[in-house]
Amino acid sequence: MATLSHEDPFIRITGLKKSFGDQKTLQGVDLDIYHGETLVLIGPSGEGKSVLLKHIIGLLNPDDGKVELEGTDLSHMKERELLKMRRRMGYLFQNAALFDSLTVAQNVAFPLLEAGIRNPADISKRVQEALELVDLGEHQDKMPVNLSGGMRKRVGIARAIIGKPDCVLYDEPTAGLDPIVTDVIDLMIQRLQKRFQVTSIVITHDMGSVFKIADRVAMLKNGVIYFIGTPDELKQSPDPEIQNFIAGHSGMCA
Amino acid sequence: MNFPFGILSISGRWFLDFLAYLGELGTLASELVESIKLGAVRGRLMLQQIVTIGYGSQAVVIVTGAFTGAVFTAQSYFKFKDFGIESSVGGIVSVSLFRELGPVLAGLMVTGRVGASMAAEIGTMKVSEQIDALRVMGAHPVDYLVLPRFLAMIISMPLLISECIAFGLAASFIVGTGIFNIPYAWYWKHVVDHTALEDVSFSMIKGFVFGILIVLISCHQGLTANHGAVGVGLGTTRAVVYSSLSLLICNFFLTFLLNYFFPLGSAL
Repeated sequence: MATLSHEDPFIRITGLKKSFGDQKTLQGVDLDIYHGETLVLIGPSGEGKSVLLKHIIGLLNPDDGKVELEGTDLSHMKERELLKMRRRMGYLFQNAALFDSLTVAQNVAFPLLEAGIRNPADISKRVQEALELVDLGEHQDKMPVNLSGGMRKRVGIARAIIGKPDCVLYDEPTAGLDPIVTDVIDLMIQRLQKRFQVTSIVITHDMGSVFKIADRVAMLKNGVIYFIGTPDELKQSPDPEIQNFIAGHSGMCA
Repeated sequence: MNFPFGILSISGRWFLDFLAYLGELGTLASELVESIKLGAVRGRLMLQQIVTIGYGSQAVVIVTGAFTGAVFTAQSYFKFKDFGIESSVGGIVSVSLFRELGPVLAGLMVTGRVGASMAAEIGTMKVSEQIDALRVMGAHPVDYLVLPRFLAMIISMPLLISECIAFGLAASFIVGTGIFNIPYAWYWKHVVDHTALEDVSFSMIKGFVFGILIVLISCHQGLTANHGAVGVGLGTTRAVVYSSLSLLICNFFLTFLLNYFFPLGSAL
């Protein structure tokens, strides 16, 4: 686990509100994320976890409140200014969002090309390294359409980390994957944190992953941070809602 | 709601939606200008689009131009014969092809083939979060998707229109001289006498404007697509309908405007 410094948050979210039509998704989220930590975001489906992640990387603009990256407010930045800030982050989309028209290697190389790296040998070496990290070194020339769901996710992870970002945001990295691949991805997130001190924010519904990788856990419910603490604090919480969520009890009868 | 107020309310809402749509197109156009100013040209993507737009549209544009020229020649001949001026068919076909039929028909063909494909491709990228992926990795969607298509379009469109006109004239020549036995010399004399550089400018300016309309409308429909496959289908349909209608309406005003600068008959 990372040693946490609670002095200067890497990302500070203050009073974040977002509505879509009549639906109030985020209703005042306050959250600090520190350098090098792995924060796992849990909560019922449809409560706005992905929406929160998209605010952190500036894909959505808040109705109110702000998101700061090392003190710089991202909430009202222009798209072209945000592009530079985003290069410090990696993002794994729920469905991987690989480019259909590019091969696996071209997908993974994309962030390097956008960062202005043009040396083909350097790009090829880094793509190979990133793909080997996710055990897909032999699939470079395949098209995304020919990959399984798990492989697409892993290519998405390779693409998210190849630019050596300070922070990686994972939107359900293990959803729909078998237990072995889930374990591989969990280990990879831990490996990245240990090796490169990458700050990670992970959305997951897999409680096994939560207790394996999290330094801290935040639970989003009813548009606000309902709980924040360490995995042990989560486990020992007396709140029945949290205990039901951990145990997967709906309270309904058959 | 009372009858007149209901109509007023609906037309008012329609007008406001139309203004909002124009505003969105204007915003996209200004982002495109910014992208051009920044010199964010991606040569490889532009070349790919030239192949898609220019090379890929060869067959439709050639067939459209050739058969329009042939049919227009036949119809003109049937009527002109009554007045005994059938030898001047070449002149009227040439002017019509340069000023109206070439740019408009090539524009409509490109709208149907390329505009639909642009909206569908970009729309699919939008609904599958590939456009968000571009943004996350530091690529502006206008730089990556719209600018290469815009540049490819303004390079390809004049060439496609020229081809449409050339094949239209060739077909007209074959029908006029081969089927209706108009003497070669008379036919070409009328074509040359009635066609001026101004007519060529007319077609090129129209092609340039139509190209901008097709790219802006189609890319906008793609970039704003949502609600999955249904949204992409709707966006694609709208791209073709809006581009075609705006092209025809714009053509009407352009004809009057350009005729002010390049009046018909100046070649005579």
